[in-house]
Amino acid sequence: MSQTLEQFKQAIVAGDVDGSVALSAAIIAEGDATAEQITDHLSAAMEEVGSRYETGEYFIPEMLRSAEAVERSLAVLEPYLFERQHDQGGVVVMGTVKGDIHNIGKNIIVSALKAAGYEVHDLGVNVSTAKFIDKVKQVDADLLLLSAFTTSTRPALLEILAVLEDEGLRDNLKVISGGASHSPEFAREVGVDGFAVDVKSTLAVCRKLLGD
Amino acid sequence: MEGSSGAGREPMTPKQRFQAVLAGDIPDTVPIIPVIDGYYAPQVIGRANDECFMDGGCLAAALEGALERYGYDGTLAEMGLGSHPNVLGCPVEVEGNDVPLVVDTVVRDRRDLEKLAEPDPWSERKMEPVRRLVDSVGAGHAVLGSVRSPFEYAATVRGLVGFMTDFYRDPEFVHELIAATKPATLAVGRALIEAGVDALVIKDSFASSSMISPDHYRRFAFPAEAEVIGELAGEVPVILHICRNSMPILAEMARTGAAVLELDSPVDLAGARRVVGEGIVLKGNIDAVAVMEKGSVADVEQAVRVAIEAAAAEGRFILSTGDSIPLAAPEENVAALVEYGRKYGRY
Ligand code: B12
Repeated sequence: MSQTLEQFKQAIVAGDVDGSVALSAAIIAEGDATAEQITDHLSAAMEEVGSRYETGEYFIPEMLRSAEAVERSLAVLEPYLFERQHDQGGVVVMGTVKGDIHNIGKNIIVSALKAAGYEVHDLGVNVSTAKFIDKVKQVDADLLLLSAFTTSTRPALLEILAVLEDEGLRDNLKVISGGASHSPEFAREVGVDGFAVDVKSTLAVCRKLLGD
Repeated sequence: MEGSSGAGREPMTPKQRFQAVLAGDIPDTVPIIPVIDGYYAPQVIGRANDECFMDGGCLAAALEGALERYGYDGTLAEMGLGSHPNVLGCPVEVEGNDVPLVVDTVVRDRRDLEKLAEPDPWSERKMEPVRRLVDSVGAGHAVLGSVRSPFEYAATVRGLVGFMTDFYRDPEFVHELIAATKPATLAVGRALIEAGVDALVIKDSFASSSMISPDHYRRFAFPAEAEVIGELAGEVPVILHICRNSMPILAEMARTGAAVLELDSPVDLAGARRVVGEGIVLKGNIDAVAVMEKGSVADVEQAVRVAIEAAAAEGRFILSTGDSIPLAAPEENVAALVEYGRKYGRY
């Protein structure tokens, strides 16, 4: 079993879409992997992909290829995971804020979170405050992840936080932002609960804010 | 460079400065042509981006206004903010002072390639601001027309994520897309030349090694660049712009036939000069965000001095920002770019 999982992880890192789909089927056939073992391998794979990007070994197409491998594998694995997964990683709503259409980084994070076992609702790009708020309520989200890549998105971020506050939604919801224009100062000024710069730090901050 | 060989000569006109540099001569002072486009310029004349979005008169007035206010040597002559994606039928929206957003893509699969068959860049409306700028400032200043590479148009019509996912999923489709958008680059380029621009900027925003591997650049982006530049460079000089880090692909860029390489801030200008040799003009590379938007006047001065010291000694250098100046860049910083460019750029 552990060998199949290790091969599965390598296939995701290598962006081998067909290979990772085939290995997903093999994992199901073997039937002894726990949901946690699978998501651990998947998220380790996406962390590895992220770090290969940070070090310049991978470029955007290579990351997208691995993200596709994750999505396609999860489509196969979902029923298996659903049966076995008792405590979900948490419910996440994510999108790129109004006025901003950058989506590559967001898509990578969405895949990494799904890989790590989160239930992710991806709202896309140029998402209005109302849309974020509605979705957060509808799915009773634990985490709201906001991608903001240009500095001109600041008013949009502030507006979302203000509405969450007004509606009394911030107590049970952690808000995390990230994206190219982010610095620790920017995040602090805006007033989010957390911020991160890459796959690894994003997974870490999500874990931390959910208290595990 | 103050006090070196050119001292005492007649001052040149801005346009002569630009032409001298392209001819390989030493001008009186380093030409300054920052990337001030239809995104930054409207506010200079107190207009909003959505007003100038498809209004050629507003756009031309904005670019004229910025040129007059800051006194640099040449202007971009844009077709209108929505026009590039619009060239190939992508719907674009703009609100207030926001950046225009491409709200949808037009190519989902091969069948959609047919939709690209009839670009309409010749439309009077799109060339109107270009012609007006050629008339109003073109006698004394350099007027640069701006067009996107086939690779960039292909990414735009397909959507960047879909496009770059296709690199592995369906590389043949990537080639087909690029072939299908090539006529648009050529048509826009020719229309700009006909409208009287002094040079063409071909932007290939996604081709850098910050986004794709040098290997993918060589396979997909470079051949299309070389081909369109081959077709257009006979008429006017071509400036090739690639955003972010282009250091690993500079040697190829130098072989596209471009007369000028517009380099972004991650590129080390002295290193770039060593790679491309003497024949090519370098344009760059003040950081548009860290220096122009977020830096102080002192940061601008420092960056200008460093760029000129690194690249201007033997001529063949145009001082510029590495990419478009963001809307929020303070006026003082734009003014400082020109002021210190003149101060340190004298030959
Ligand atoms: C590709 C790109 C575009 C493409 C986007 C296409 C697309 N489908 O996404 C296009 C051409 C459309 C574009 C347009 C513009 N862009 Co742009 N773009 C880029 C570029 C070159 C790469 C972005 C990218 O995909 N990077 C790769 C991914 C993997 O990295 P990432 O986005 O940073 O994401 C990672 C992390 O940030 C993090 N992350 C992402 N989201 C989140 C969310 C959370 C919650 C967390 C925790 C973490 C996290 O994890 C990701 C994985 O590691 C960047 C340059 C750069 N240095 O990033 C500029 C950049 C983001 N763009 C910029 C600008 C200014 C623009 C424009 C305004 C340009 C213009 N003049 O028109 C427009 C704006 C359009 C709009 N309103 O959105 C600036 C922003 C600067 C600023 N301070 O505002 C940048 C930084 C370039 C620069 N230095 O000038 N752009």
